[in-house]
Amino acid sequence: MEKRNRNATIAWLVVSFAVFIVMIGLGITMRLAQGLRIEIPPNTFYALMTMHGLGMAGGLFAGALSIIWYIISRTCKVSLAVSWFSWVLFLIGAVALLYATLIGGFGPGWYALYPLPFINAAWPSWATGVAIIALLIMGVSWLLYQLDMLRAMAAQYGASRLLAWEYIAGKKPAEPLPAVILIASMCAIAGALGTLSGAVTLILYLLKWISPGVSLDALLLKNTMFMFGHVIVNVCIYCGLCAVYHLMPKYSGRPWGVNRITAIAWNATLFFVLFAYFHHLYMDFAQNKALHIIGQITSYGSAIPATAVSLFGIASQVYKSGMKWRFTPTAFVLGGMGWAIGGVAAVVDSTIMVNSYFHNTLWVPAHFHTYFLVGYIFMFFGFLHDFFNSKAERFAISSFVGMLVGGYGFLSMFYLGGYYGVPRRYAAYTAIQVGDIANKGALFASLGALFAAVFLLSAIAFAISLFAGRSKATAEAVATT
Amino acid sequence: MLKIAGLVTLILDIILVLTTVFLMWSARKAVEHGNKPVYKVRAYYAPALIIALIAIFAFTITRMPYRALALTPPAATVKVTGHMWYWQFEQEGQPALGALPKGEVIEFAVTAADVNHGFGVFDPDGHIVGQTQAMPGYTNRVRMVLEKPGLYHVLCMEYCGLVHQAMIGFLTVE
Ligand code: HEM
Ligand SMILES: [Cu+2]
Repeated sequence: MEKRNRNATIAWLVVSFAVFIVMIGLGITMRLAQGLRIEIPPNTFYALMTMHGLGMAGGLFAGALSIIWYIISRTCKVSLAVSWFSWVLFLIGAVALLYATLIGGFGPGWYALYPLPFINAAWPSWATGVAIIALLIMGVSWLLYQLDMLRAMAAQYGASRLLAWEYIAGKKPAEPLPAVILIASMCAIAGALGTLSGAVTLILYLLKWISPGVSLDALLLKNTMFMFGHVIVNVCIYCGLCAVYHLMPKYSGRPWGVNRITAIAWNATLFFVLFAYFHHLYMDFAQNKALHIIGQITSYGSAIPATAVSLFGIASQVYKSGMKWRFTPTAFVLGGMGWAIGGVAAVVDSTIMVNSYFHNTLWVPAHFHTYFLVGYIFMFFGFLHDFFNSKAERFAISSFVGMLVGGYGFLSMFYLGGYYGVPRRYAAYTAIQVGDIANKGALFASLGALFAAVFLLSAIAFAISLFAGRSKATAEAVATT
Repeated sequence: MLKIAGLVTLILDIILVLTTVFLMWSARKAVEHGNKPVYKVRAYYAPALIIALIAIFAFTITRMPYRALALTPPAATVKVTGHMWYWQFEQEGQPALGALPKGEVIEFAVTAADVNHGFGVFDPDGHIVGQTQAMPGYTNRVRMVLEKPGLYHVLCMEYCGLVHQAMIGFLTVE
């Protein structure tokens, strides 16, 4: 059973990793174009941008779900059939999306604001249809996968226990609830709700595509689309944290369980993650002001459990623990740091007053690339290193140094761009004639591409390290456990 | 404002990096229950964070852009419509958009004719003054004071398709 679960997980992890590497290629291409190092027509740029955004967010989310699936499969009877079925659906969706964007030229950006996909599009209508259906198929895949996890956890622990409310009520349960079950439940619940919101949006898009006479509300769909996007990217990071909670004790020798504070923190996180997306709509002055204010409260609020519980949790695992700085714990600790650094930029920008300046400048991709590239990805890689029982410690650590330099260098160029008011999602900055924005934008882009190339090579080196030092004996040991 | 936001981010990032390095360095020796001090620090950190967030919230929320300058009647109202891919400006009671008065409150009533756009106003030196979304079916009203005389550029701040990167408008301020 264990081995079959492993294989099902490997299938997801491999796809997720491969998507990540390919999408970096698209990202570097975009940065080179913005830096005027290569020339690509705007419609190609925007198709690459759309594929990159959806591919990264979707591919990493899928891999993240498989991490929590694997972790809970050790104590719960998850369905192998559902995992494989979702995997096949996901692949079909991914291939269709690649076709719609790279061949069809579908390019409304990852959040495809209504009604952009349907008006004056630079791509044929079939590409819009294929993309919508592709995303819907992926949505179904994730929904099945997450619901099956919830079912399995509920069957094992009892549905009412999953969110650790008994701890909040101050009871001490006879059988403790593992922290990973609390986090995985939170992820699957939030993720399923977010996916549902995306599915509703996409079904309306499909309706519009089939009968173009239908007219929908742009503001409403912006709300439902951002609820989807915001939730799944954040849940992706929480899945990474689940891996950290799961594996850190193995390296530190210190337990990391659920207590009242952890329980409150993760329930609060569930609440915040569902309602923080309002910060994406601050510049929609027509939206009810109360929702903007809720957006700033929930965005600020999410900083409390994230730092006071998860980051302090990591700190208490590490402090004076005598831990050896092997790859996995190093990547986890620095991944936690990257997540926090992205969080600082996010909280700053979630201040409505500041958002007037930063909204849709490069500050926005700066903060979420930080979360991912030097946050979630490091947690993901830390998990992979442990999962594949990699023996090439030194090799992995050297690749990690490259990822740190390349990653933070690449990100700094986004932050500088945002600070100087360079707008996001510009195929080129040449038309901007005010101030020095065009020159700064191009310079930061070129340097960003360079650093990203360092990151890419290091990430490939890391992939090689997973298998390079793997002796036969350990491979067999893994296979038989 | 921008400077403060940038500086706060930088300082907090440096603190995070230093803390991480310190933590990793501390792990070179093992002390049983050596992590007690972490919980002590947390007992101060959590309330301090909550107080700081509430204070910053209270300070910034009263400066939301939605009702900025609400009490001063605007010296001019400009109707802004985003089209794929150009800006259309109309001034109430005027045949064409003339120069806008420097240092006075201007109201922009922003909408879009086709898809979402973003109305971002940059001063002659290239600093962003403010922005709002331009959304079909809705009118977003934003008030600004344009302090510097000269040519202001309006850049599109919401991706709107093929020519988004070159959808630029101009406002003259005297
Ligand atoms: C070294 C790796 C990466 C590079 C070089 C890269 C590059 C880029 C570039 C150039 C853009 C367009 C920025 C703009 O002008 O608006 C972009 C957007 C984006 N990236 Fe990345 N990126 C990388 C990693 C990631 C990762 C790990 C994620 C994971 C979520 C990600 C998700 C996105 C998303 C969602 C967008 C927005 C797309 C849109 O606006 O429609 N990227 N990236
Ligand atoms: Cu635009």
